[in-house]
Amino acid sequence: MSAATGKRVAAETPPKSMSITRLVWVNVAKDLRLEWRSRDVLNSMLFFSLLVVVIFSFAFSPTADQSRNMAGGLVWIAFLFSMVMALNQSWARELRNGVLDAYRVSPAPAEALFLGKCLGNFILVILLECLMAPLFVVFYNLSSVGPLWQLVVIALLGTWALVVNGTFFAAMSIRTRNRELMLPLLLLPISIPAVGSMVTATTQVLTGEGAPVVQMKFLAGFCVVFTTACFLLFETVLNAE
Amino acid sequence: MKSPIFYVLLLITLGLLGWGTYQAIMVAPPESTMGDAQRIFYYHVPAATAASILFWGNFFASLWYLWKRSPVADALAVTGAEVGVVFFGVVLVSGPIWARYAWGTFWVWDARLTTSLILWLLYVSYLVLRKSSEVGSTSVLAAAMAMLAALDMPIVYMSNRWFPTNHPQPMIGTPNLNPEMQKVLLWNMLAFTMFALLIAWFRFELERTSQKINQLHLRKAAQGISMAMLAPLLLFFQDDKALREQVVQHHYMVAGYIAVWTIYIGYLLFLYSKLKKLNREAAAIGLR
Repeated sequence: MSAATGKRVAAETPPKSMSITRLVWVNVAKDLRLEWRSRDVLNSMLFFSLLVVVIFSFAFSPTADQSRNMAGGLVWIAFLFSMVMALNQSWARELRNGVLDAYRVSPAPAEALFLGKCLGNFILVILLECLMAPLFVVFYNLSSVGPLWQLVVIALLGTWALVVNGTFFAAMSIRTRNRELMLPLLLLPISIPAVGSMVTATTQVLTGEGAPVVQMKFLAGFCVVFTTACFLLFETVLNAE
Repeated sequence: MKSPIFYVLLLITLGLLGWGTYQAIMVAPPESTMGDAQRIFYYHVPAATAASILFWGNFFASLWYLWKRSPVADALAVTGAEVGVVFFGVVLVSGPIWARYAWGTFWVWDARLTTSLILWLLYVSYLVLRKSSEVGSTSVLAAAMAMLAALDMPIVYMSNRWFPTNHPQPMIGTPNLNPEMQKVLLWNMLAFTMFALLIAWFRFELERTSQKINQLHLRKAAQGISMAMLAPLLLFFQDDKALREQVVQHHYMVAGYIAVWTIYIGYLLFLYSKLKKLNREAAAIGLR
């Protein structure tokens, strides 16, 4: 290295270290911008859930009463499977051009990357749910007997529970040979309790039979426990060699 | 497998297994309503005990691995999960055979059965992860997965706690259990726990040899054994009460034994073939 270059580097002010909040925001903004420009993930998620809606309608002829009892399970299965597509994509993107390796050697904390990814995926999935909800209502004659705000709380908690676990296991499964195949195999067994209580709670609200408060508390607990565990273990998984 | 202690323990265990089985079939009094079909308990319960010990072993070994990165811990973790999956597979096979007689159905989605199935699925997914992750990162990823799996179990139990269960309650040490039956059950628990730990030891040694010749990934446990299990199950598929009474309780007991020992022997054969393969590889690269 020539003396001139050395002098120039020394003369520059050292880069200001970024706060965690800023790093998270940079990650979220980057993910959303990429998604906005390509719309790969959102389009495929939307189309996929639409297909699930259509295919399930062959399994039973939805009348208003029947569909109330089944919609809870159906809606969440559709979202769960389309979420798996989004999660796979979100990390696969970082593999190209060695972005993930660059991140590993950068001084930015791994947790910021993880939180950024989770928030990015969360926003995408919530968007998907907002777009799909009217379709479910139309195709399955849905009308809720219980209060609607409870459905919103269940959707937020449930989506966060699935997204946190999903983002974590997607980071794990890109380290395996059969990347896309591994994610559901790891994610589904772990999330069975969350999915179960989401489905039960949604059905309870839709049919108006029983209050879903216990299930909502359970989901909140699930979110807290798994968010903590995933944050603690993420750096280990990111740097696994 | 150079240690003479292993062979001494093997002899003792085989003796205990024989003694336990003899006691279970011949000595223990028949149950008042279920008759011989109840004898399935004498290997259903011990297998569950052994499997839970092994899953705990997996958890602590994974914790140890995350802390120290010791290959011994990794070998212990994989042993715990794999042998645990086999023994828990036995629980999940012998349970429904008994349930078909006692409840008239193989499976109900109640709390105890659902949580058991999820537990088994979690550790199967752990083994699948080990099998398909890239060499080098396997152990770390698997240890992280083991942490989450262990964390999930209390939550699964919690999520199921408000459901009723048909599953019999624990009876050891309570006056509800005939002392004669309890003695037989305890003998069998001792025998099967020793059996499980010996298999685990064997599996552990294999894993160490395998690590030494850089064969880090694993065969999925009990591959293809599920096919072999279908045969005895097919006997009971018709839901015909007359037929069910014709097929005496005794047949359920025999079917249970066949299914369970198919799993154990199948797994041992699997381990044996793995040992042969490793020995060949070790000889080829001049390890011994």
